[in-house]
Amino acid sequence: MEENTAKRRKLSHADGDGVTSLEDPSAPSISAMGASGASAFVLETEELLRGQRLDYGKTFAGVDDTLRRFKEAIESLEEHAPLPIGDVTSTFEKSNRITIPYPEPKPKKDSALKLAFAKPAQVNVVGSYFLKTMTRSQSDFTIDMIVVMPATLFQEKDYLNFRYFQRRAYYIAYIAAGLRKSFSSTLDFTFDLLNGNSLLPVLLARPKNKPSKENEKPKPSQPDYQIRIIPNAPEGFFPVAKLAANCNAIRQGRPEETEQAKTPTPFYNTTLKAESTFSAYLKLLHRAASSCESFRDACILGRTWLSQRGFGGDLAQGGFGQFEWAILMALLLQGGGRKGEAVLSPALHSTQLFKATLQYLVSTNFHKKPRALGGRLVDIDTVLQSGPILYDSIRGINILFKMTPWSAASLMQQAVWSLAAINDNPINQFDSLFIVKANQPLQIYDLLLKVKIPASIESIDATDCRGSVLAWCDTLHRTLKKALGERAQSINIEVPKNTPWSLSGSSSKSKVDKIHIGIIVDPIKAAQGREFGPAYEQKKEAAKFREFWGEKADLWQFPDGQIKESLDWTEHVSSGYSGISEAIIRYILKQRLGLNDDDIEFEGRESSKAIEIAPTDKAAFDTVRKSFEAFERDIRDLEDLPLHVRKIDPIAPELRHASLHVPEFNSTGRLSRAMEVCISFEASGKWPDNIAAIQRLKIAFLLKIGSSLEEAKTEVKTHLGLESAEFDTDNLAFLDVVYENGITFRLRISSDQEETLLDRQTKDKTAERHIRTQAADLLAKFKFTYATLPLHTQTISTFCSRYPALSPSIRMVKQWFNNHKLSHYFSDALIELFVLQAFLKPYPWTTPSCAVTGLLRTLQLLSRWDWRDEPLIIESSADSLSPAQQTEINTRFEAWRKLDPNMNRTVLLVATSHDTSGVAYTRDGPPKVVATRMTTLARSATKLVKDKGIDLDMRSLFHSPLRDYDVLIHLAPKVLRATQTRPPSSQFKNLGLQTSHDALPLPEPPARALLRRLEAALAAPLLFFHGGETDPVIAALWNPLLHRRAWAARMPCSFRPVSGGKEEEGGEKLFEVNREAILAEIARIGGDLVERIEVK
Amino acid sequence: MTESSKSNEDFAILPISIPPLPSYPVQATHYLYLRRNTPKIVTPDDSRSLFLANVPSDSTEAHFRALFAHIVGAGRFESIIFEHDKKASRASHEPAQAEKLAKHQKKRKREEEEVQAREEEAAAQLPDTWTRQIHQSGSSAIALFADEKSAETVLKAVKKLNKSRKYPVWGDGVKDKVPPLGSQWLKAHNKLSYPGNDVVQEAIDTYFTIFNKKEHEATLLAKRLRNEPDEDGFVTVTRGGRNAPASRNEAEEARQKMLARQQKKKDSMQDFYRFQLREKRKAEQAELLKRFDEDKRKVQAMKEKRGKFQPER
Repeated sequence: MEENTAKRRKLSHADGDGVTSLEDPSAPSISAMGASGASAFVLETEELLRGQRLDYGKTFAGVDDTLRRFKEAIESLEEHAPLPIGDVTSTFEKSNRITIPYPEPKPKKDSALKLAFAKPAQVNVVGSYFLKTMTRSQSDFTIDMIVVMPATLFQEKDYLNFRYFQRRAYYIAYIAAGLRKSFSSTLDFTFDLLNGNSLLPVLLARPKNKPSKENEKPKPSQPDYQIRIIPNAPEGFFPVAKLAANCNAIRQGRPEETEQAKTPTPFYNTTLKAESTFSAYLKLLHRAASSCESFRDACILGRTWLSQRGFGGDLAQGGFGQFEWAILMALLLQGGGRKGEAVLSPALHSTQLFKATLQYLVSTNFHKKPRALGGRLVDIDTVLQSGPILYDSIRGINILFKMTPWSAASLMQQAVWSLAAINDNPINQFDSLFIVKANQPLQIYDLLLKVKIPASIESIDATDCRGSVLAWCDTLHRTLKKALGERAQSINIEVPKNTPWSLSGSSSKSKVDKIHIGIIVDPIKAAQGREFGPAYEQKKEAAKFREFWGEKADLWQFPDGQIKESLDWTEHVSSGYSGISEAIIRYILKQRLGLNDDDIEFEGRESSKAIEIAPTDKAAFDTVRKSFEAFERDIRDLEDLPLHVRKIDPIAPELRHASLHVPEFNSTGRLSRAMEVCISFEASGKWPDNIAAIQRLKIAFLLKIGSSLEEAKTEVKTHLGLESAEFDTDNLAFLDVVYENGITFRLRISSDQEETLLDRQTKDKTAERHIRTQAADLLAKFKFTYATLPLHTQTISTFCSRYPALSPSIRMVKQWFNNHKLSHYFSDALIELFVLQAFLKPYPWTTPSCAVTGLLRTLQLLSRWDWRDEPLIIESSADSLSPAQQTEINTRFEAWRKLDPNMNRTVLLVATSHDTSGVAYTRDGPPKVVATRMTTLARSATKLVKDKGIDLDMRSLFHSPLRDYDVLIHLAPKVLRATQTRPPSSQFKNLGLQTSHDALPLPEPPARALLRRLEAALAAPLLFFHGGETDPVIAALWNPLLHRRAWAARMPCSFRPVSGGKEEEGGEKLFEVNREAILAEIARIGGDLVERIEVK
Repeated sequence: MTESSKSNEDFAILPISIPPLPSYPVQATHYLYLRRNTPKIVTPDDSRSLFLANVPSDSTEAHFRALFAHIVGAGRFESIIFEHDKKASRASHEPAQAEKLAKHQKKRKREEEEVQAREEEAAAQLPDTWTRQIHQSGSSAIALFADEKSAETVLKAVKKLNKSRKYPVWGDGVKDKVPPLGSQWLKAHNKLSYPGNDVVQEAIDTYFTIFNKKEHEATLLAKRLRNEPDEDGFVTVTRGGRNAPASRNEAEEARQKMLARQQKKKDSMQDFYRFQLREKRKAEQAELLKRFDEDKRKVQAMKEKRGKFQPER
């Protein structure tokens, strides 16, 4: 009845409008998007899918025809009756020059097995080509063709002793011979192993790169595809009951017959079972794809996600590829819930399918306890094996049988990280899920080592046919895991992959003789020097402990009389967790696996040479912080100050664990660096109404504090220092408080009245323009120093104690900025924010736990940050930024870009929780050229990290060539040092010692003071680059915008008449930058500080 | 002085040869441009001063004294004012009230009073922390000569120099007259930055003596003005009545309180009527759509940038 009122009609009309726009065809899934912010993610994935979709007709032109001819050729192969294996092998190999790829152990010549060939029961195309789930970014396109061998070829007992696999090998070799005869002109044939499984050789056919006549170079758009021919067993041929995980199927040729019979061979068994399930899984996938509309898309997403993380179906790649992903999803569409209900619904959008599958991976814990899909596990023993278990009850297969314990753990971890990314903020996490290449060992692991595979492993009994290397790795992994215990968060092993081999050759033995191990440590636990085992009274455990650790185990008695087994690594404590872990690994591998020291190679150790970071630095920082607290107490204890102290805030990087150099204590030689602190008093109406007068009143205050302090504490000396301020209204002075141990604090006062007045001046419409801009500048500076920096210091200190690796990472990144001469433009605080962001948003990985990883992640962040188009938003406090605030920051960013499209003033926009304006940190920030240089350098560094991988020499990241600059000003290091050192206060050494802490502190490092002066004079023609106070070279680039020009009384810099007297443009003389005169000016200003000026 | 002329006709070019230094062994030539000084605001010394453009950054008075002595002989050059010197100390040091009152009351100070005030203010200045200023590259200066004729001679001599091509050498004969640059200059700066607490104390004391005096004078003046109509018969309303005005902080607090009260009242009326709820829902929906459109636009923009949707290899 309400429908009829005018208002209602109007409203429903408006609603109707909304609905029509919702039905936009390009947004089919808005209803499925759920909460805010998800829509961008959905749109982005749709864009990704569009980009990934292949045009099958174009890419695989002529493939269908080839496949059809293959099928015909295979079906028309000549059959032959069973012949003894010895005879048939030798005649076949001789006549065809093909080595039959029998799995190890090769069949004996006199074996009674008889081989035959018969027309295949079925020849089918399966896999991602059939399902159309290939992606454009795949490295190669493989089309799978299965050839089902007829049941007539086999006998019931063929599941035993490789008999089936020997028949299969002969079958594939026979097909290979046949196909080669008819297709050798257009295709190359090789053997490969299916998923690296040495039992399953397959035939690869790849089109030859024929030199085409029309165009000389091979068309880049022509993808490299290959056809893989996979023979397999008829469905349901083998007795499932006899191939359970606890059965043994290899009984032949073992000396101790009885014992061998008991050793189960789950891998062999499952491989055999999987041989007869190809078509069953094909049907499953097909059904899933037809029942669930977005199944294909979700498969592509899963495939992209997996391949970005380096997972694949190959044993060496972890044994979890797109096939397993697709099967998992298909099974989850049917069941898998707690009570057997379906986990996924066919109505879900592809992104939701993807997320839900990830969620399932995270929540199942399949690497710890077996899970069954599609039915109850009747008998747990029949599936139990050492690796992860996800049992498909209907088809009787553990679909994860190819995974190793470590690859399962790694997959789980990646899923956890990705899920954390999605849950954190889906808008910005698209890249980390699908775009970023996530399997970069240097970015993930804290410890990387190469272990030489010992020659003796061939003799390791690899009953289960996984290959001796994998079997050995299994032991290695178990040993390391046990030895490192809680010190390691995860241990991953990368094993070499096998490659295809030619038909006439024999199966390639892996040429790589080293495996790579990556370890993520828990930095706090890993730094413990002494480790405790079971108590002495627990005899059994203690004996085990002793047995494992050998002579390293000793007993430790606590003061309360308790005796425990323990291990002592304290001698390595000085080199931090990496030293301890290295010692443990070296010891235990020698002890348990007999590996010598030179078999194990630790990578990334050079990094410590690039920058001195010692584990003891933290203590030094803590001491400095303590001395600050003492200083604060000293000030608060002063009673004769006219106003009460409200707060004293540290703003120096030393006081937030973030300075490149650890503050020094000794007062010998070098002048101690002053640490900046600001102080504010209770509000008072007595501050004068004039900014210049306020500045002077602040000086009076400082003097008062100084004299009171000196009175109260005899060990304190204070010096009032003047700033090189340009204006009377700027802060004019600071007070250096020098303690006896050399620690110096630089005190500045903040006054509320100053801020109010500056604010008023900035907003005063009647004032002159230059006064207003000057006031605005001063106000920004004031706010940054007295409001932003104290909060920043607090934030960084908090996070430094939360993340132990943050402090060394910050210092390393600062070193990087220094070495590339960028730090002159990037304030300490700004660099700290970059690193903090890399820690807070570590996706697609987890928070770094060592300095090198921290550095690489920060570089990765910088290389991916497109500062032209997006601000950097750092949620630096617990109460994160609301979406409204984020939108506001983005709006402000767009406004800045609209206002200043050439980015002459505002280049980087870095917003934090306590500074949403985004420009506080980059007020003196880098100009566009420098920001571009930062991005370029970060990109090339990241590329190097990705390409070189584990072989990267860390020093190369810190190496910066000087050839890019126009001018190099080499400073004289000796003179620089002399300027820095304190002048001898007395001729007599004994007197000098006494007065050492009377000496004046250093207002500013000399190199920086010189650079500031040079910049004030020559900012127009030259852009200076300098990396920190110890950098002996100031580099510079000429400003390319200063062209030749006509006369003006006010030139931006020194100009000279163009020589040659050519008068142009209506007889007007032209003038150009007088470069020599400018460089001569630099030489004169620098005097003896400048050793030489090099010009390119 | 800042007046720029379109052509360089009236500028004489004075090339100065720069001797090579061990750190930069190149014989360079610096070009100085001279002209008669014709500022917009005329001063009595204009006729005997020259406008110099593009002075070297390390210029000092001694440099120019030597330079002009070389060109036209000693005794002609009097002094030089650099562009930078004029800019200094623009900020007002008057108390706010005095400044405000000054707009109403133009009080003429006697000559000797003014001289004394200037001396006092000089004493209140903080000491300089640099022994020598560096000028911005390409900046200008005004050189003052003994008389008009000297200035004329300089211009003529410069023209002649251009013909003879015997350029004066920069920094010839000024070695000991100016403080050195380089490390000694920085060392001196390090020392000068700490003039000593007592020296600064003295300067600050002097400053506040003056400042307080000014403030006191301003209060007195305000008191007087309060009861004194100006020539149009208006009485100026000034601060300092019987009741002290509320302090700024209190006023701000009161305002906040009032705003909070208003907000509370407003809040209690929200979501009360049905139409309000309906409108709210509608607004939410519109917001959702807007956001969706925004996202779409963003993704579109990203798509235009190449490679955003290609997984890295």
